[in-house]
Amino acid sequence: MVQQQVLDRAFAALADSTRRDILTRLGEGPATIGELAEPFGMTLTGLKKHVNVLESAGLVTTTKVGRSRECRLGSERLDDVMHWITLYQRLWERRLDGLEAYFTLEKGTDE
Amino acid sequence: MTNDTATHTLQMSRFLPATPDEVFDAYTDAEKQKIWFSILDTEPGIVEIEVDLRVGGQQTAAWGASRDELFRETQIFRVIDRPNRLVTTSTGSTPDGQTMTTEIEVTFAEQDGGTLMSVVQTGFPTAELRDYFSTYAWVGAFDRIEAYLTRE
Repeated sequence: MVQQQVLDRAFAALADSTRRDILTRLGEGPATIGELAEPFGMTLTGLKKHVNVLESAGLVTTTKVGRSRECRLGSERLDDVMHWITLYQRLWERRLDGLEAYFTLEKGTDE
Repeated sequence: MTNDTATHTLQMSRFLPATPDEVFDAYTDAEKQKIWFSILDTEPGIVEIEVDLRVGGQQTAAWGASRDELFRETQIFRVIDRPNRLVTTSTGSTPDGQTMTTEIEVTFAEQDGGTLMSVVQTGFPTAELRDYFSTYAWVGAFDRIEAYLTRE
């Protein structure tokens, strides 16, 4: 399914240490391709390839600013997963709270 | 997802003042579920539950504030060991059409005259992300997660 494929791409993107370092750098704020390439000692072309992988995985978004391309963190994929965990946490809390109230009321009625 | 993908586990447990038989039956019976699922609701909403309690059978549930906002969950029963254990495959779907399939194991253990009901839900594909965040300082990420989880 589409969502699973998107998540596959996110995990594949995170499997590379250079791409993780790029994300760490972008965690400090947006940066252009040139600014990102310098500390890694990479060519612009090499760094662009990594950014493209991160962008297709939804982990990074890029915007053209003048003659440069600015990169920033995109947290859409993370939000997707966290959204589900939150939904299920709330569902289980609701179920367990409901059961507890159900039995507490039932026992209270018996006495 | 491949089988090699590590997954996140959601675990919760609660002590309930009833026997494992009573808890198991209340948890799996459709009519009882309709009662306790909404028992604490302050505003009326939609709750629909159907249960075919047999291995390979399924439980379908839909709930929400209105027809346009229904969250749905289908659980297929894999193991039914009344009143000790229930294993299901759950597929949840949101009103906007997203789905997530996970495995759920619920156990009912007798404890101090009541029952400790425990839930273990596996299959959330988040371990890589979680490991990444714990290894690398992604500035602000934890704040965002915390804000997301605690938002009202």
